[in-house]
Amino acid sequence: MRLRAPSLQLRLALRLALIYLLATAVAAGILVYRALDTAGSLNDRELAARADDIAASVSMTNASVPRIDLPPSIAKAYEAAGNTDVYAVRRANGPVIAASSAAFGEQVKAWPAPGDDPSYFRLSGIGSTNETYYGLTVALDSAAGPIWVSVAHAGEASALVRSVLWDFENDLAWGLPVFVVLTLAAGVFVIRRGLKPLREVSRQAAAIGPTTTSVRLATGHLPSEITPLVGAVNRAFDRLEDGFALQRHFTANAAHELRTPLAIVTAALDAMDETPELAKLKADVARMNRLVDQLLRVARLDALTPDVSATVDLSAVAVDVVAMLAPWAIARGRSIGCSGCDSPVLIRGNAPAIADAIRNLVENAVTYAPAGDEVSVAVDRKGRLSVADHGPGIPLSDRERAFERFWRGPSPSGQGAGLGLAITREIMRIHGGDVRIDDNVGGGAVLTLDFAGATNVSRLVDKRPSASLL
Amino acid sequence: MRLLVIEDEPRIAEILREALEHAEFTVDAVANCGDARAAVDVTAYDAVVLDLGLPDGDGIVLLRELRRAGNQVPILVLTARDAVEDRVGGLDAGADDYLVKPFAMAEVIARVKALLRRPGGALGAQLTVGNLSFDTIGRDVRIANRVVLLPRRETAILEHLMRRVGRVVPKSVLEEKLYGFDDELESNAIPVHVHHLRRKLLDAGASAEIHTVRGVGYLLNEMKA
Repeated sequence: MRLRAPSLQLRLALRLALIYLLATAVAAGILVYRALDTAGSLNDRELAARADDIAASVSMTNASVPRIDLPPSIAKAYEAAGNTDVYAVRRANGPVIAASSAAFGEQVKAWPAPGDDPSYFRLSGIGSTNETYYGLTVALDSAAGPIWVSVAHAGEASALVRSVLWDFENDLAWGLPVFVVLTLAAGVFVIRRGLKPLREVSRQAAAIGPTTTSVRLATGHLPSEITPLVGAVNRAFDRLEDGFALQRHFTANAAHELRTPLAIVTAALDAMDETPELAKLKADVARMNRLVDQLLRVARLDALTPDVSATVDLSAVAVDVVAMLAPWAIARGRSIGCSGCDSPVLIRGNAPAIADAIRNLVENAVTYAPAGDEVSVAVDRKGRLSVADHGPGIPLSDRERAFERFWRGPSPSGQGAGLGLAITREIMRIHGGDVRIDDNVGGGAVLTLDFAGATNVSRLVDKRPSASLL
Repeated sequence: MRLLVIEDEPRIAEILREALEHAEFTVDAVANCGDARAAVDVTAYDAVVLDLGLPDGDGIVLLRELRRAGNQVPILVLTARDAVEDRVGGLDAGADDYLVKPFAMAEVIARVKALLRRPGGALGAQLTVGNLSFDTIGRDVRIANRVVLLPRRETAILEHLMRRVGRVVPKSVLEEKLYGFDDELESNAIPVHVHHLRRKLLDAGASAEIHTVRGVGYLLNEMKA
């Protein structure tokens, strides 16, 4: 199987999707980073506020010894089990005044002076947990003179901040895909709308064939990028149409011009005295005549599609064809009969073209029928016409090829151009009908023209007119 | 009997002239409409053979002119155009018969003779096929010069078949010609008459026979030797 080239629509949609995903990922990344950053600074500010609270609780005793009296609520927080929050207060360049845990106090004693800005630290191994502590040391003024306050908190940020962040990430995880899908859907819709004129043009182009070479693609609502392409295609169609017309005229003229010299040869041979040599020559010329005749029919069929909108009495056409060919068949020792031809069967179509189609079948049948055989033409009320003979028949394997141009069966006389069935099929195609080959009961072939596809057959058949339409 | 052949292709004109003269007609041949008009003005032809494609005009136009002028000369049209529209156009314009090129010479002669045999035609009363002959005025049928007595309707059928010898005469045409509106027509009346007629021809040793084209009509032609 051939892989289909991806459509423009698919390609645009895929690229758009990729861009959406990248852009969304970058945007989400920035948001998360900013959220973490904000959470970090919130944490720092909280720690600084605690340091201020602690500094405000430092006072000087009468004995000039600094002491700390934390408000009960704060003290309770630092004494809570687990020691998730710790503090330590030192006199500037002096001893520790107070510490919530001895271990933290020991650590803080050895630290250098903080600068003007708070200095941040990360510690582990203090308190009863194995958690990392994050904290800051800041130099503050208090009632007991300049002090250094260190506060720290276990973990990176507070539970509150973490839960806010978690919610935010959760929302992103759910919302982003939905957002991406919705925007993509909107994008695809817009692309489809944008490509609609292209599909319209494709539809028009699909209708162009050998019999409809005059159709051109409309440039009316096309995007300006496509217009030059469509214009170029239309100009290519112009050139093709010219070529087609030239070809058709050539075939038609050639066949027509060939007729006059052939007529001369035919008539001249006729005027000569009969000899066996002359009989062969006459047969050759007759075959030539037939070929030219059929070429002319093919050319005419190619050049202009017949109008198939007229009401035609299939029976009457069949009778005309049989009457025309009967003398020829009788001269060859065969006969022709017609069944069901006495009551009208009305179909939509083109009488001369239908006559051509029937004529080709009857000529073939007479050619292949054994001497003394009757070729029987039958018309039924459903708009089917069959031509049956008792000749060799057409093998199953040849039934499709039999309709190709210039295909010839093992003809007993070596006559025929092999165009008859091709012409017949083309005529049936134009009529929306079908031609098929079957075995005749008792040997031979039955060729059936089925006009059931021709519009309104059944309705027309029931509407029997009193006068013949032909 | 004098014929006018209007044909611009010199070889075809020559062959037509030779063949028709061989069939004992007197033939004048012209190659264009102008000469044809002049010829028709001065001579009363018994029949005209007209090719439609002429260098100085369409044969159809000439045909219409002749008919409009009241000239009833029988005209056989020869044409390379075989589209049905063209044939019908030719007959509508007043042609009596047509042949599509290429044609067999024998066919041209037979058609010309058939035109001359029409009521009012120059060949008059005698129809002949093989050893079978029919006098349209005396209405007697002869086979090998012996008179054969036939009932009225069988005689009428034979006349129609002989007038269109070698071509199919539809059964419906025979019914129309033989029976009036008031006549009771049985569906097998014509086949029964034809059956009797065929038997009588055979018994009398006629060299012409009647073929049935089942469901369509009948055809009379000369038996092959």
